[in-house]
Amino acid sequence: MNIDYTKELALVEGNPRLADIDEIITRPLTQPPTRKFYIALSVSVTALLIGAYSLWLTLYYGIGMWGNNVPVGWAFDITNFVFWIGIGHAGTLISAILFLLRQKWRTGIARFAEAMTIFAVMTAGIFPVIHTGRPWLAGYLIPYPNQHLLWPNFVSPLLWDVFAVSTYFTVSLMFWYMGLIPDFAILRDKSVDKIKKTIYSIFSLGWRNSNRHWRHYEKTYMIMAGLATPLVLSVHTIVSFDFAVSLIPGWHETIFPPYFVAGAIYSGFAMVMTVLIIVRKVFDMENIITLNHLERMAKVMLLTSSLVVYAYLMEFFIAWYSQIPAEQYDFWARVVGPYRWGWYFMVSCNFLIPQLIWFKKIRRSVVVLFVISICANIGMWFERFIIIVQSLSRDYLPSSWHMFTPTLVDFGVLTGSFGLFFTLVLLFAKTMPVISIVETKSVLEGAQPTVHGGSDHE
Amino acid sequence: MSENKNLNSIAALFDTPNKIITAARKVKESGYTKFDVNTPYPVHGMDKAMGLGQSKIGYVTLFFGFSGAIFIFLFMGWTMAINYPYIVGGKPLFPFQAFIPITFEVTILCGSIATVVGMLAVFFNLPFLSHPIHDSNYIKEVSNDKFGIVIEAQDPLFERERVIEFLKSLGAEKIEFIYEPEKEEFKILQPKFISFLVLVAALTSLGTFVTLNKLMYVVPFNWMDNQKKSNPQSETNFFYDGYAMRTPVVGTVAKGFMPYAYQGQAQPKVPLANPTLPTKQLLKMGQEKFLTFCSPCHGNYAQGVSRLMGQFPPGPTLHSAKIIGYSDGMIYNIITNGQNAMPSYAYQIPREQRWAIIDYVRVLQRAQNPNPSDFQAIKELKKESGKNAVN
Amino acid sequence: MLSTDIGYIKKEFPKKIKTIGLTLFVVGTALGIIGFLVNPQRASLSYLVTFMFLVSIGIGSLFLVALEYAVGADWSTPFRRISEFLAGIIPFLIILVIPLLLNLKNIFPWTHKSIVDSSVLLRGKTAYLNVPFFIARTIGIFLIWWIFYYFLTRNSRKQDSTKDQYLTKKNIRISSGFIPVFGFSITAIAFDWMMSLEPNWFSTIYGVYYFAGTVLCALAALTLFVILLNEHGYLHSKINSEHYYTLGLLMFAFTVFWAYIAFSQYLLIWYADMPDETIWFMHRWVGPWKVVSLAIVFTHFVFPFFYLLSHSIKLQAKKLKFIAIWILCSHLLDLYWLVMPGMPSNGYQYYFSWTDLVFPIAGVGLLILIFKFLSEKYNLLPIGDPKLQRGLDFHL
Repeated sequence: MNIDYTKELALVEGNPRLADIDEIITRPLTQPPTRKFYIALSVSVTALLIGAYSLWLTLYYGIGMWGNNVPVGWAFDITNFVFWIGIGHAGTLISAILFLLRQKWRTGIARFAEAMTIFAVMTAGIFPVIHTGRPWLAGYLIPYPNQHLLWPNFVSPLLWDVFAVSTYFTVSLMFWYMGLIPDFAILRDKSVDKIKKTIYSIFSLGWRNSNRHWRHYEKTYMIMAGLATPLVLSVHTIVSFDFAVSLIPGWHETIFPPYFVAGAIYSGFAMVMTVLIIVRKVFDMENIITLNHLERMAKVMLLTSSLVVYAYLMEFFIAWYSQIPAEQYDFWARVVGPYRWGWYFMVSCNFLIPQLIWFKKIRRSVVVLFVISICANIGMWFERFIIIVQSLSRDYLPSSWHMFTPTLVDFGVLTGSFGLFFTLVLLFAKTMPVISIVETKSVLEGAQPTVHGGSDHE
Repeated sequence: MSENKNLNSIAALFDTPNKIITAARKVKESGYTKFDVNTPYPVHGMDKAMGLGQSKIGYVTLFFGFSGAIFIFLFMGWTMAINYPYIVGGKPLFPFQAFIPITFEVTILCGSIATVVGMLAVFFNLPFLSHPIHDSNYIKEVSNDKFGIVIEAQDPLFERERVIEFLKSLGAEKIEFIYEPEKEEFKILQPKFISFLVLVAALTSLGTFVTLNKLMYVVPFNWMDNQKKSNPQSETNFFYDGYAMRTPVVGTVAKGFMPYAYQGQAQPKVPLANPTLPTKQLLKMGQEKFLTFCSPCHGNYAQGVSRLMGQFPPGPTLHSAKIIGYSDGMIYNIITNGQNAMPSYAYQIPREQRWAIIDYVRVLQRAQNPNPSDFQAIKELKKESGKNAVN
Repeated sequence: MLSTDIGYIKKEFPKKIKTIGLTLFVVGTALGIIGFLVNPQRASLSYLVTFMFLVSIGIGSLFLVALEYAVGADWSTPFRRISEFLAGIIPFLIILVIPLLLNLKNIFPWTHKSIVDSSVLLRGKTAYLNVPFFIARTIGIFLIWWIFYYFLTRNSRKQDSTKDQYLTKKNIRISSGFIPVFGFSITAIAFDWMMSLEPNWFSTIYGVYYFAGTVLCALAALTLFVILLNEHGYLHSKINSEHYYTLGLLMFAFTVFWAYIAFSQYLLIWYADMPDETIWFMHRWVGPWKVVSLAIVFTHFVFPFFYLLSHSIKLQAKKLKFIAIWILCSHLLDLYWLVMPGMPSNGYQYYFSWTDLVFPIAGVGLLILIFKFLSEKYNLLPIGDPKLQRGLDFHL
């Protein structure tokens, strides 16, 4: 294959015109839902209902419905929390960090990834609230003057989580909405149906594509991207602090912050890949979400998987080097102990399988990438499970050791989280443009002038 | 679009980015100030062509971000070190290291909210759904794939024919007139508005009623009012007799309490020793308690002259040789266990008071059967009190 | 050599560059040798600081080259050769490390049998911390780095004359292989040469900490050299403030990244308060070290952060040169802070010595000499690189 490095890879294939872009991207919104859509929606809504029922059981009867015990006080609940927050990170990374790195290829996937971030954070946010056992008291986590004269404990990383996750949700929502305003304006101008037009008018806030607005818009977008980048890194860092500030062997490692961030990006990109492969097929967007996109995402997955493996090896090496028996045992137990099957899943899905991405043929095969992305998510879920449950079930005092066994309600809540996420994704795909129309237009060939109005620094 | 509507602006459409850039530059150079360029996406170089400077929104972010940071840092310090000082995990009262993650998050939160809200509300003046340009063909084309320039009628250089000529000379594909929208009169008594108000009132009252009268009694909003536990005086079918309240199991002893060794026994093998010293205060208390509990049956001076007058068998005199010969512990045993017609006074008289009573009884007994040396002592006491006028 | 299609004209360096480099190197080395003769223990530690600094610049620059190939960046192609020249110190590392290898007993407590035998913890670590394995690791890693350096730079230079695009593809492959190897090897070097100075202490993030400082240092060196050379016309007229801006942005990003890693390490150890971990920070909080620790927070993070936050500063060559030098000095201070407090555990009390100043002088001299030598042999611009035109045309 002859590659010419003098030219950049085409961002949108097939050379569509500006007017076509509108049509391609808004087509799923104007057509009635297909049978495939209804089947997919019914599957996800079923999962959601199972989750809702499990959640009701948990809230009504208490945390005893789960398998949590002493010493394994955190199990599926926090595993799921970290899992979903991690998935949310890819969205912000794609939209904010790749924007700052001027990687124009993000246009095809940024909007979808941002939406996934928001849905993932919404799903994740359920878990810290319900795992407290009395979620109706969650309001006390916010520092407001109350009749108990109490303030939350600002020294606790669990409270840092509250601030981090709510900030992350707010900022992602605003960032996503900002990107949607011009697209809603396009939909408003295209729609004929009075109700739809009213809704789009309201949400587009009266946007009129004026350049006097575009210049502030672009600057704000860059500022938001610049703010969202350290934010996304800090959120998962703070989540890792939940574990790393403790004394539990296997949890108190200084490498946890970057390790968790790398793992989050890895699982996030895997989920984006899974969903996008489905979307591009179902909605005929293969020219906009191209193989080049999937290949680049696969490379990012390989990179982050390597970072995660680096962290695994560091943990193991330092556990031996530190000569602390509890540390050494915890890591050894991961390999030969009662949860070793989880560890084998983790290593094969996070280390062995991504090594396939070194091969170009694999990187450009949609089917294999789909399988790899699903394996990556399974592996990352098990990584959190091993970190949390294995380390808790076998800490300093052997007389306190105890196994954790998940209950059906645990599985129900996990299923429900997937149900919630995919339901929201499917609804999003049907009601809003999944690709940013405006950004796609701006990166087409010939979309930008060759005449200089003058160079403007952003 | 009738002719008597006011002209807001004249709009021209172009079809390539190059054309719009040159056109915009020329419009700016011709001296127009109240004009705008509408493009389906931001076109590079348009800011310079229109003579616009850098956007100042960055300063909003900076200001609000840092204000937020300083505020939350000091606030956390105030709550944890001044308002409710509480040592957590051995950390100092002002653990600034622990404050850094939240400070960081709040910086970003405040900065981004201020930026977006500032951008929309202040810089854009949005939401503004009734701009004259909406719903025109012009905006529909501009949303899609055309680029446009709008010159407003308010511009000092505006002159209808001249502007049309000028725009045509720049290479415009289409010229369109944008008119001010008709002023709609809003009648307050129209049926739509009234029904809207009624709906809002109905929903608000329904919502309030349901929340305060129904929702508050449902889990979890009833705040654990109805718990699966037994309240005092309640029934339960868990126990055979239906009572939720139970007595302690036989033999239960309160923590720190030493049960009386001879409970229920008439003859203690080794009677308890009197642990009290007969101080004046104790004897006064003993007198008080004696008069309360013992005098009804034994009489005010323990002579067995009961004021019950035969309604209840009178207690014997406590000045008999037998009772004088009793040890203090034996009398304690009688008070605690009861004897013959005398019931147990253990529940009425605390232990210390029992000993006080016993001390007082000994005083009474001595008063009734004094030693000869006692008279001598009394004589000397009287002499002393006679000496001191103040007594 | 005139390359008409790109517009690169190769100029000769003035003689005084060689004089300056040679003077610094000779003077520094001479004084250093005197230092070794006077007090070998003290001089070895000073030498170690400078050595780790040169490792940072060398392998950090090679990492930047590999990164550019692996991600397909084009904006940095015009000055990739500068990073390649800065990486030219890598072949010399095996020679430069010899004075340290000869003085292991003066540097590391675990080389003393008596100390190891009296400590249960150290006895357990002898499988890793023993002199033969240690030397093998160091030499092996430097050799591996040399191999990667050789092939990456050889392909890049060959491309100047052949303009063969297949060389780029080869280099992309080599780079993709290099990056994981780099990750593990730089961690091993950091663990071996710096973390084991206090062998009872450990931190899983230590390798990442050194990596962050290394990349920041390499970027600062690159920025400094690019701006200096371009101002005097050695590079290309199309390399302008837009390129500088991006370099400044990267320095900003890595300053924040370094601070993030440093803070994570500190916060977690502070919070759990476990004595076997906090001792390392306690050593850096006694007496004058308190001042140095606070100084590092300010010089390595606070000042560069606010300085590089400004949009206009990142466009100005003079200001970027200043901050690049500042960052290089703060990285040296950071390494000093990592290495020197290990002295008390070595049985010595810390004191400032003139040898601490001598070796950086020699190091800078050596870098200048290597750079001059390489730039005489090869072009300062990769004129055969297919991405070069896009890189020169780069605008924000």
